[in-house]
Formats: sequence, structure tokens, C-alpha cells
Amino acid sequence: MILKDNYAHLDLSGTWRGIRMMLPLAAFTVAFGLAFGVAAVHRGLADWEAMLMSLFVFAAPSQFAALELWRSPLPLLALAAITLAIHTRHMLMSAALYPWLKPLPRRQQFAMVILLTDSSWAMALGEYHRGERNLGILLGGGIALWSAWVVGTAIGLAFGGGITEPERFGLDVIMLCFLLMIVVGGNPRAVMALPWLTAAISALMAYWWLPPYLHVMVGALTGGMVAVLLPGRWFGTSAS
Amino acid sequence: MSSSLVWQSLLAIMLMVMIAYGSRVLGLLVMSHVPLGPYVRRFVDAMSSSVLIAVITPMVVHGDGGTRLAAVAAGAVAIGLRSPLASIAVGMFCAAWWRWWFS
Repeated sequence: MILKDNYAHLDLSGTWRGIRMMLPLAAFTVAFGLAFGVAAVHRGLADWEAMLMSLFVFAAPSQFAALELWRSPLPLLALAAITLAIHTRHMLMSAALYPWLKPLPRRQQFAMVILLTDSSWAMALGEYHRGERNLGILLGGGIALWSAWVVGTAIGLAFGGGITEPERFGLDVIMLCFLLMIVVGGNPRAVMALPWLTAAISALMAYWWLPPYLHVMVGALTGGMVAVLLPGRWFGTSAS
Repeated sequence: MSSSLVWQSLLAIMLMVMIAYGSRVLGLLVMSHVPLGPYVRRFVDAMSSSVLIAVITPMVVHGDGGTRLAAVAAGAVAIGLRSPLASIAVGMFCAAWWRWWFS
């Protein structure tokens, strides 16, 4: 499918490329999904509840958090509040994708972010900054991770208490290593040192002193604001 | 399981879906009303990488020795090899090794 603007486009080859690029992480995501399935079994969720969650919510942190609140009667308000707090960062992530998605009709823009996750976003945005304009990268990455997450959940539900201590195998550092790879493996520019340092410090302070999960929002906004305050010539633009 | 409990579960999951998807769309909606000038572009560019920094920093600071070792090793491999698979594999190995010996 060629979109209005030939520069940003979506096609099957790009989608396949996105799937292939995300395959290594998808393999680990099966393990994450498996851990969720096992945890869901242990928390007393019905198989259909856990599967519905993985199929349609598709968000590991909020799904794990929901397990902690899953009792009868369900505390819907608390569940909504914690899901909202965890997902505020996705608002920033989709905002960052807007320059790429802008040429698409609104409905297609909304469809492109259905499978948005931290990892597929980070990978796709990294490619965008390297000049990639094929939106299949974003879509394919999302499809790969979603499939892996759903398959992993199903395996976890089917085979119950398999992995009881995922941290013993280093499974808990997968996301950290992948995000680090995105940050430092993509030719970071020296001009970003100050925004990143500010983001790190403010996120840490927010982590200590603000309600849970707000640190990502605080760090991201602080980093962005510091970049705006720096002289434009440092970024190679004339706009300040 | 009673039908009221089924409906409660369905309602809870639907609520989660709406919030999760709503947050994914909200950023686009907000940005569609903001002109993409140089300042906004610079803000968005810096913000997008700062999100990752903000996610990573507390993980590393509050993580155990295995997490920190994994971060250092994975970062070094990422800079040297630029391979996500190698970076993740080395990070996992270091975290598992540390925990095997020191916990």
C-alpha cells in the first residue's frame, strides 16, 4: 500500500523486515509471556481471562500489575488508575512517532499504534532516525512481539509452574539490555549528553518521591525541555 | 464461576484495553494539533530518547549487582558490536552468573 506521501510508506517487505528484526527479542518475549501465564495460573485467573488480556491489552507491565489486584470483587478504579499510570509513557512514545505517521490518514495512524510497545517503538524509531521511512518496520516489530507474547502466555497457562525464578536465568534483564542497545548502539550524539543526564537525574528523583510509574513521564519531558533550551546551533539547526 | 464474576472480569479487561490503547493514540491526537516547528521537533527527538533513559536509570540504580553487571556488559557489547542479540545474551549471562555466585 502506498500512502499519500511517497516518503512515508507501508508495504509487505517492510513489515517482514520489521518482523525479522524483532525476532531475537520475540524469542525472549515468549519467555516473558510464559512467565505471565504461569503467574496468572498461580493468581487464580481463568485461562480465558489471561488470554483475553494478552490478546487485547498486550502490555506486560500493566498485565503483571493487574494480577496483583485480581480478586473478587475486582477493584476497577484501582485497576484503571494503575493501568493509566503505567501507560502514560506510551502517550509520549506515540507523540514521538507523529512526524513519521503524519502523512497517513487519521484512521491508519490510529491503527499503526495498536501494537505499540516499548521495544517495537524503540527499534522503529531508531530506524526512523537512520533514515528508514517504511512503516512496516513498526508494524512488523509489533506483530512479532504480539505473537510471541500471546504464544508465551498460552504455553505458560498450559504448562503451569515451569519457570519459578526467572531472575536466576537473567530473564529480568532482557528489556534493560535491549533498551540499552537502542540508546548506546545507535551512534549517540554528544549534544544529547545534557538532556540525557537531566532525564536520568529527574527520573530518579521522581522514582523516589513521586507516585509509581510517573518517573518515565518526568524524565522524558525534562530531557525534551533541556534540549529545547540548548543553543540551536549545537543541533545543527538555526531555530534558536 | 457466576455470570456476574464473568462480567466483572470482562469489564476490567475492557477497561484495561481502553486505557492501554487510548494512551497509544493520545500522543498522536495531541501532536496533530501542534505545529511541527524546529523547537517541537527538537523537543520530540530528545524526549523520545529520554524516555529510554528514564526507564533504564532506576532499573540500574535499584537493581542488584547482577543487573548492574548486565547493564555494563550489555552496553559495552552494544557499542562494540551493535548487535541486539549479542547484547541481550551477554547481559543475561552476566546477570545469571552474578546471581549464581553471589546470592
